[in-house]
Amino acid sequence: MPLYEGIGTEKLTVVMDLGAAFTKLGFSGEFAPRHIIRSEVTLKGSNLTREIYSYVNGDDLYDLLVEFLHMIFFKYVLLSPKDKPVIIVESLLCPTIFRETLAKVLFSHYEIYSLLIVPSHLVSLAPLAINTALVVDVGYLETTVIPICHGLPVLHAWQALPLASQAINNKLRKHLHSCNIKISEVKQNIIDDIKVRCCFVTPQRRAIQFLKSNSQLNYCPDLQYPLGGTKIINVPGKIRETVAEFLFEEDNDHQCLSTMVLDSILKVNVDLRVKLAENILLTGGTVMLTGFKARFKEELYKQLNSSRYEKLKLSKFMFHSAPSKDNYTAWLGGAIYGATEVLGMKSITREYYFKESRLPDWPNMKDNSRIQ
Amino acid sequence: MSNYITGPDVVKYACSCGLLKPITRLYFCRHCLELRCGFCVCHEVDSNYCGKCCENLPSAEARLKKNRCGDCYDCPSCKQNLSKRAATVGPKNPEDPKATPRKVYYLLCLNCRWSSRDVGIPDQAAATGSWPERENVHAARLQEIIEMYKGIVLAEKQQKMEKDKKKQRRFMTFTDRTGITASMLRKRIGLPDIPHPLLKPKPKEPEEAVAKEEVEEFPEELLTKPINLNEITTLEQRLNLPEWQPTTVDKLFPIHKQVSVKRSQRCRACEHNVSKPEYSPTSIKFKIQLFAFYHIPEVRIFTVEPLRAGKQCELLLKFSNPTQHQTVITFLPLFPSEDSFASKEIKELVPDEEVPSREIVIEEKQPPSLPGSQPSSLLHTSLSRTPSITVKPRPIKQAITANVELPTSNFVLLPRDDAAEFDDSGDTHNIQDDTKLVVWRKSNKAVIRLNITPLENLNIGDEVVVGFTMQHIYVNTITAVESKEPQRYNNNVKVFQYLGKIVGSE
Ligand SMILES: [Zn+2]
Ligand SMILES: [Zn+2]
Ligand SMILES: [Zn+2]
Ligand SMILES: [Zn+2]
Repeated sequence: MPLYEGIGTEKLTVVMDLGAAFTKLGFSGEFAPRHIIRSEVTLKGSNLTREIYSYVNGDDLYDLLVEFLHMIFFKYVLLSPKDKPVIIVESLLCPTIFRETLAKVLFSHYEIYSLLIVPSHLVSLAPLAINTALVVDVGYLETTVIPICHGLPVLHAWQALPLASQAINNKLRKHLHSCNIKISEVKQNIIDDIKVRCCFVTPQRRAIQFLKSNSQLNYCPDLQYPLGGTKIINVPGKIRETVAEFLFEEDNDHQCLSTMVLDSILKVNVDLRVKLAENILLTGGTVMLTGFKARFKEELYKQLNSSRYEKLKLSKFMFHSAPSKDNYTAWLGGAIYGATEVLGMKSITREYYFKESRLPDWPNMKDNSRIQ
Repeated sequence: MSNYITGPDVVKYACSCGLLKPITRLYFCRHCLELRCGFCVCHEVDSNYCGKCCENLPSAEARLKKNRCGDCYDCPSCKQNLSKRAATVGPKNPEDPKATPRKVYYLLCLNCRWSSRDVGIPDQAAATGSWPERENVHAARLQEIIEMYKGIVLAEKQQKMEKDKKKQRRFMTFTDRTGITASMLRKRIGLPDIPHPLLKPKPKEPEEAVAKEEVEEFPEELLTKPINLNEITTLEQRLNLPEWQPTTVDKLFPIHKQVSVKRSQRCRACEHNVSKPEYSPTSIKFKIQLFAFYHIPEVRIFTVEPLRAGKQCELLLKFSNPTQHQTVITFLPLFPSEDSFASKEIKELVPDEEVPSREIVIEEKQPPSLPGSQPSSLLHTSLSRTPSITVKPRPIKQAITANVELPTSNFVLLPRDDAAEFDDSGDTHNIQDDTKLVVWRKSNKAVIRLNITPLENLNIGDEVVVGFTMQHIYVNTITAVESKEPQRYNNNVKVFQYLGKIVGSE
């Protein structure tokens, strides 16, 4: 190992969680990320802002990541990346092209010393000091459910659907369009802000009422969202209260958030089902939406009554609350792993990377799943 | 010069990495005699400083303070600087006749009027330091967990090392992500509850978190009470305090200002600095600045005749020599292997289709191109620094849409002489110019004429781009320091001109 930053000071390793909407940045051994920034870059000259996940191919992504990481290293974490170790928290379902390109940028462009990739669902359990739980990550592009049993992600039981923040934003924009002109020109971050500050997930009893044609129920009060000092966006109570309803409405394949959870449990061995149902961890920024967790719980119980899930024989769901804000639980897990010797033991070094010129698949899991 | 700031960039040079940039965005490594740019040099943090109070923070201190200035604060509401304001309040003990009014300090944002008093932060008796800091409520528990994980992994490492000694290592590899199969899991499940491998040796185990049936309750008043958006923090305000993410404005508190960095840039081929700023935060000067603008002749578009497809027209370019040495400019085709470049259909040479995936090639380290030169900026290199990796240049993707008739003669550019700017005594140079080529000259500048022909198949509105390789004589002064004759090199630079759009016929 090289001397990171001179002698006598403790090693600081950058921990990054590159989400589709927000990137969490900080250092190993710390209790919270130092920055949460949008995963986007403003291209020089053109003033055009592009999301990292809007890449069209590997070369395009390479250039986007070079720009984005430059900003991360020199504007946020303030550290020369060359010859330093880096920890990436990444979903097990992350597209291979993203994973490979990110490694290529870090090793060949930024010449980092080593890279440790930790799977987000698994490390999310570290802040809780537990090793079995059902991890439900409601992110930006999609919701992913992966059970972790005895520290092992049960990959064949995974569930993923695009029921997440991006879909809420799109719905919100569409609904606002009907009562506001020129809403299509409003930037994404304003839509995000309206969602976070004005909207919420309503309790189940009201949602059921709203579906009835003779509903007598009044929606919550309308709101006027000020835009740029002079303009106003009207946010009707109906939109505030029901924009996220689709997360819990079964689609044509009879799938929604609650069925994802139960389907995932169904795919796991009988002996583990109760344990998983009684250890549910909700992560991702979207679960912070007001009323989300309460409704999520109600919906799980509702699904238990359907014949699909009779054989589960579950009676109770229990939820964890991590010592973090839900949007950085996975990052915190990475920061905890990064403070240990795992960094030295499981990292891929630059030397290895260029010899093999590819990443091993989940090298960290290789060891984590050793069976004796 | 303003043209370089506001754009558009109408003349671009090809960096050695294959990117096209205006000359103001390029470096010229005097050691490799190659153009470099922000993309292909190695950036390094040179020094930390606070942008508000202009104090330098040594890197150890910056690290200790988590890259934040101890004295300056940002407004949690609008991210502008917070100002310290003094106020006079009555004495602590008003009964005491001798008591004098005290001075107290609070923080105020002059932009949005947010104040530390708004959120109940007590006024401070001293102007500097000691504003209350907020702690993470989970700190103790998280510290315990980190210690536990450290212990467990260390124990596992030792165990593994012992095992390695006995050479009884068993391998289990998973070829892909779905490698952890149901059968393996079943195998595991047949066994008693084996804890997480990380948790195995159990040196000291804090209690596992316990899941609860209850979740955050729905705030019922939301359904009937109108909300005041002014009391609810914006998403941005929440994320500016990532550890707390307050949802209401009364929970906002001042943010220690993040320090800024000065960066230095290093050539990846020879490890010399191409740019290094002065240490002082108030200085905008450089210790090392190998900007291409000071070494490579600058090309500007002087005028161009209306561009018509297939019709020859005249392009006047102005060259200026930024160096103290006379130079000679020769025109060469863009791609040296093509002799009859000018007469060919040029578009074929620069394929428009997708380039093959970016290849990373670690090239052999070239010895510094100048034997005996003092590697002055190499002295800053720390011992732990490993040699840089050279990434293979990408192909230049720019399509050329006009043929240029390359002049067969070359021309001289006189050295830059700042005094000549004020010399009205007329042109005293004694240069035999090819008058077909050179149309004007004064001190270190010359305007030359090129005949170009936009491609036949262009339509009205299509962009016309021409390019050539400019060969100039570069006098390297590094060797001159060692009392040798300055060495002269022929340096080739690919230059592209963006001339505008095709117009209709007369
Ligand atoms: Zn370059
Ligand atoms: Zn300061
Ligand atoms: Zn302010
Ligand atoms: Zn060089």
